[in-house]
Amino acid sequence: MSERFSPRRLQFRIIAFFLGLLLLVQVASLLLIGHSIGVNARAAVNTELRTGERVFARLLQQNAASLTDAARLLSQDFGFRAAVATKDEATLKSALENHGERIGATLAIFADGAFELQAATHDGAERFLPILGRMVNMLDSAQKVALLDGDVYQLVVVPVRAPVLIGWVAMGFRLEESLLREMRQLSSIEVALFTRGAESPGWTLKRSTLGEAVARELVTGWQEARADERVPVDGVTGSNLLLQLPAGMGSPVSGQVLAREMPLGRDGDQQAVAVLMRSLDEARAPYRRLQELLLAFTVAAILVFAVGSVFTARRITTPLRVLTRSARKLGAGDYTEPLPAQGGDEIGELAHAFEAMRQAVQERDERVRRLAYEDDLTKLPNREQFRTDLRDAIVAARGQHQPCAVLMLDLDRFKHVNDVLGHRFGDRLLRQVALRLQREAGRSNDRVARLGGDEFALLLPDADADVAQAVARRILLGFEQPITLDDHTVDLGAGIGIAVCPEHGLDADALIGHAEIAMYTAKRGQLGVVVYDGALDSGSEASLSLLSELRRAVEQEQLRLYLQPKISLGTGEVIGAEALVRWQHPARGLVPPLKFIPFAEQTGFIRELTGWMIERSAQVLHQLHVAGLPLKLSVNLSTRDLLDQDLPAKLQRLVGAHRIDPGKLCLEITESAIMDDPQRALQTLERLHTMGFRLSIDDFGTGYSSLAYLKRLPVDELKIDQSFVKNMERDLDDAKIVRSTVDLAHNLGLSVVAEGVETPKAWKMLRALRCDEVQGYFVAKPMPEALFAAWAAEWAPPAVNEVLLDSGFATLV
Amino acid sequence: MTPLLLRNLLRLALGGAVPACAAPVGLTVLDAAGQPLPGAVVAVYVAGAPAQAPAGTSAELAQRKKTFVPGVLAIQTGTAVQFPNFDTVRHHVYSFSPIKVFEIKLYAGTPAAPVVFDKPGTAVLGCNIHDRMSAFIRVVDTPYFARTDTAGRATIDLPPGTHPAQVWHPGLGADATPPSQPLATAGGAATLTLKQP
Repeated sequence: MSERFSPRRLQFRIIAFFLGLLLLVQVASLLLIGHSIGVNARAAVNTELRTGERVFARLLQQNAASLTDAARLLSQDFGFRAAVATKDEATLKSALENHGERIGATLAIFADGAFELQAATHDGAERFLPILGRMVNMLDSAQKVALLDGDVYQLVVVPVRAPVLIGWVAMGFRLEESLLREMRQLSSIEVALFTRGAESPGWTLKRSTLGEAVARELVTGWQEARADERVPVDGVTGSNLLLQLPAGMGSPVSGQVLAREMPLGRDGDQQAVAVLMRSLDEARAPYRRLQELLLAFTVAAILVFAVGSVFTARRITTPLRVLTRSARKLGAGDYTEPLPAQGGDEIGELAHAFEAMRQAVQERDERVRRLAYEDDLTKLPNREQFRTDLRDAIVAARGQHQPCAVLMLDLDRFKHVNDVLGHRFGDRLLRQVALRLQREAGRSNDRVARLGGDEFALLLPDADADVAQAVARRILLGFEQPITLDDHTVDLGAGIGIAVCPEHGLDADALIGHAEIAMYTAKRGQLGVVVYDGALDSGSEASLSLLSELRRAVEQEQLRLYLQPKISLGTGEVIGAEALVRWQHPARGLVPPLKFIPFAEQTGFIRELTGWMIERSAQVLHQLHVAGLPLKLSVNLSTRDLLDQDLPAKLQRLVGAHRIDPGKLCLEITESAIMDDPQRALQTLERLHTMGFRLSIDDFGTGYSSLAYLKRLPVDELKIDQSFVKNMERDLDDAKIVRSTVDLAHNLGLSVVAEGVETPKAWKMLRALRCDEVQGYFVAKPMPEALFAAWAAEWAPPAVNEVLLDSGFATLV
Repeated sequence: MTPLLLRNLLRLALGGAVPACAAPVGLTVLDAAGQPLPGAVVAVYVAGAPAQAPAGTSAELAQRKKTFVPGVLAIQTGTAVQFPNFDTVRHHVYSFSPIKVFEIKLYAGTPAAPVVFDKPGTAVLGCNIHDRMSAFIRVVDTPYFARTDTAGRATIDLPPGTHPAQVWHPGLGADATPPSQPLATAGGAATLTLKQP
């Protein structure tokens, strides 16, 4: 709450601004109105006083008129004139009294034409005679305000004619309080009468409508005001005086009073002034009410404004606060919540802009995330994402005591496809592979990822090694269907490695690494699917012990050389054998080649093994020669051997040491080994060929060597892959391949060896197809070298004439 | 009435006879400024002439158009004055003058009884109804009197010689007693001057 009304908040500032503005305007207008009321009231009072002056003058005039009328009436009265003519003083006096009383005159006088007093209603009337004389002689008016004994009288004088002038009738009227009261009744103006005489130079208040109580204050106030205003005493001007009268003294007016002086008359030192007074406060009173109303209106307006500006400020700041909250959320990286829609005003536009920004940022964020965790080509998760997913899967798997499996897949010959058909084609191929993998990893929570290049990975939660192997085999089965893109048909092949949690590791990196190792093993050995085994991993503990055991096996001569005979189809004679290695482990017995050959290839120990093989073969070859059997022996070379720069020299040394004919030693190289690095393979093969070694391409038909390339290889022999040989009895196509291969080889000047011959039918067909040599269980299983000489001595070619070929095959042959 | 005048009157009544050879004398009255003064009454006191008019002498002061006609009437003492009213309205003629105080209340036509002015002097007449109406009646103790016309001239048949004369004018007021001045009849013309006012 305190923050909401902090002075720095927009809402507060808006409210404060509006209220301040209103207050300013209202205060200014109140002041202005107050001032103008003061001015107006003064002006109004001024006007009233001027009017009052005229009214009072008129009142005096009326008074004088009635006096004059009375005097004139008297002067024209026949009886009165008769009394005058007869100088009947008593009658004159009573007539004067009678007429004076009629109009309430203070006194009535009759004087003769020479202003000698003839009769008067009161004693001392003779004092008025000089004034009367002056009045008549001045001819200004026959009426006058006269001062006498410090009091003020109105005098009129009229002539008496009978019919010529015989005298003057004068009537006097003292200005009494009743007249002043009448004045007040007429015009709401208070009147005070001041005089001063020869004997008392100061002003005296004769009478006023204000009452006796304030007389003293009135005199002092008036005199002070006169002194302040510096109005000359004689030249009474039209300007007004401001007096202050005390309240609560029984006076009808109090407070500020405007006074106007009205000179009544002057006679020598004697002077009379009527002071007309009007209360300013009274004049302001009606405006006071207006001011109060205005004040109330101001308060009401401020309240209305306050409510209005609070409302307005809320309307502005509430959406702003919403926007601020949303902006903070955006800042924190939460882009999910859409901004609430606002109105069509500027804030609404701002909100729209915010919303557009949020969506744009969200999109970019998602794109960045995709780029970081997704493979752009196949839209599959990338290695990073896969690791994350795997980590999660491991946690889940361990929590539920379930296994989970990782499949690592690498396409065969992808580099070649890329080189030959272009990168764009390669990319499209990868996309197809991604689709296939997704199809094969059918379960909803299976996860396919592309780790890079032609390497894919699958995460199979809740899958043990068996399930994983089944999936892997399904994948490979699917790959048997070639992919056709732009008239190019590509056969797919892949090596798949499997690692299972928890047996093969408990963290993602280990599992991925192990699956990779298994995959390399599978690829190297053309084994299809390989489940990780510690033995495969040169870095693992098992591998280390396997490696040292292998070394020991070489040193302690646990390795055995086995020979599988090769028979010439033409003569039926034994012409040689393929040398194979067996490991006679002292504790484990005979270890199958698959258990250690891939490992040896992977670790490079294969070079030692190959060396051992060649040495042993050279010894056996020598022994056979000595025994009169001029046979040839075939030894397999691995990829590593082929890439080994020292291999030719090593061979040279062995051949020399055992004094054998290099032509009796046939070096078998798999087609895929050559294709791993055709350039270097070609160099090595050429050197070996020059040295006189016989060269053979093993497993021909599984690789992708082109005929053009094959033509350039300095080989002497092709070995047809046993898969074709095993199938040729049932599959006419395979038979055709075999025939074509034989024809091709012969045309190139090469001899052809068929391995995997297991039936007499195969034998017969191969012979019919003019294959040069055969090798297989139908002839003999691989046998220890020591038994070979004896077996060869007893060998007789089988009789296969009774074996019947199907008509199709017969035609082929 | 001064003692001198009385003496003169007595002398006239006792031994004076009206001379038979009286001749008209043209008179001109000038004011102080030398201008002819109309409406002035000239009275010439000839020794031996009677002061009182013979009984039955009368004069008339009419009221026409709310005006006294003439405005100034000169008569010899003892003359009866009639006040015929020629207006349709009534008049109330009065005089508060000491030589004759009277009033004729609201009348029309000619009042039954005339007013006899038996004392010399001036009477101011007014109408009580009409304030503006005023007239003077100059009563003199001599049969030789006249009123100047608009040119300030008058003619009186006078016996030859030099006689005391008195000139009165309304401007002097009713109560004034004008000074006497000699009037010579020689040449048949004389000029009189009224100093006041």
